[in-house]
Amino acid sequence: MTRRVVRAWVWLHRWSSLICTLFALLLCLTGLPLIFKDELGPDLKLAATTAPPGSASVDSMIARVLAARPGEVVPYLFYDREHPILKVPTAASMTADPASFHYQVFDTRTGLQIEIPQPNEGFLYVMTRLHLDLFGGVPGTLFLGFMGLLLVVAIVSGVVLYGPFTRRLAFGVVRTDGSRWRTWLDLHNLLGIVTLAWFGVVSFTGVINTLAAPIELAWQANQLVEMAAQAKPAEIEGQRASTDAVLRDVRAAVPGMNVMTVAFPGTPFATPSHVAIFLTGNTPITSRILKPALADASTGQVVSVRDMPWYATALFMSQPLHFGDYGGLPLKIIWALLDIATIVVLISGLYLWWAKRPQRGADAEAGSPAS
Amino acid sequence: MSALRRQWLWPIVLAAATVFGLLAALIGEGGVWRTLSWGALAVPLVTIAVGLARMRRGPLAAAEASSDRHR
Repeated sequence: MTRRVVRAWVWLHRWSSLICTLFALLLCLTGLPLIFKDELGPDLKLAATTAPPGSASVDSMIARVLAARPGEVVPYLFYDREHPILKVPTAASMTADPASFHYQVFDTRTGLQIEIPQPNEGFLYVMTRLHLDLFGGVPGTLFLGFMGLLLVVAIVSGVVLYGPFTRRLAFGVVRTDGSRWRTWLDLHNLLGIVTLAWFGVVSFTGVINTLAAPIELAWQANQLVEMAAQAKPAEIEGQRASTDAVLRDVRAAVPGMNVMTVAFPGTPFATPSHVAIFLTGNTPITSRILKPALADASTGQVVSVRDMPWYATALFMSQPLHFGDYGGLPLKIIWALLDIATIVVLISGLYLWWAKRPQRGADAEAGSPAS
Repeated sequence: MSALRRQWLWPIVLAAATVFGLLAALIGEGGVWRTLSWGALAVPLVTIAVGLARMRRGPLAAAEASSDRHR
């Protein structure tokens, strides 16, 4: 690599990093507690019972929820991947902002209500929002996605620079016999190259995750419309199929899968005359990939089941690789340690730029690349 | 071993171990694949620990480790 090419990469690495470092640090710091979201979350205090999950009536849960929150509607039902619970939100309208949802939680085996704090308040919620959208909704998420993209550029340019910057060193050597700057450069290089693949994957999948809203819109505009067109809605005035019947039907129509989410008519994920049910499989991968089914809201009959398009599958696949929640507690601990290492990479990078700032151009330092 | 190969051997091994570890728990369905995943992803962490330990032992150890260093 000629000196000019190296300088160009240094420029790219410096500026892509500098622009995103503050946000990358925020993401790494807020992401740290989120790795242990389940462990830090509320204790469900689930009662011991022999009743199988899903045996309690969902209709009676909905009735209780609405009785406790008069004037509100139930837009969705959320099942849990790990626990036999059902989260039933209520809101002012079917299209209300999910941040305004009030949740009531039930044991799906016994139908008993579980008292836990609202999931949209408290420390973990603040961390989630800072990590997800800086409390800025979809624009906030897309902004963080752009910062993530710059971070990917910084990682790639960092790998390119690793070559000329460590050419004269054996792998992993951190020189402590020179300037402090050089020691930190070696540390930055070591931690950077060691965490490269992990940081690259987590950054890239994070960027894909920020595209959730446009991906949902594309699915709603194309697939949902096509699925709804597969059968003319019965539209029997005033008749609404029971949720228990819909769930029974869809479980029979799609055997071997679990219902994860139900979207009621009028929400953006269903149609005015259909209930949408989203199912998942049982393996680490298939438990992330949602399969949508549509049921007629009047008769409860399942009218369409189809796989998600490739762009939605890409989103689902990128979630576990970003969260690190698919390999038990040891994987989460590994995730946290690698996250801490990348925090050191970010801070040391900032220091390397700051300390060298005044004398830039005259870099006769031992750590500078040979041409 | 060429200089280029010596320089990039470890980074490639680490990246391969990481990617294997990430995919083992995701594609493999539990059981031994989880353990393999933890083991593979521990490789970069152990590498960091070794690097820091060598650094604490001072410049002498670092100099030994880099035999072809220009001083």
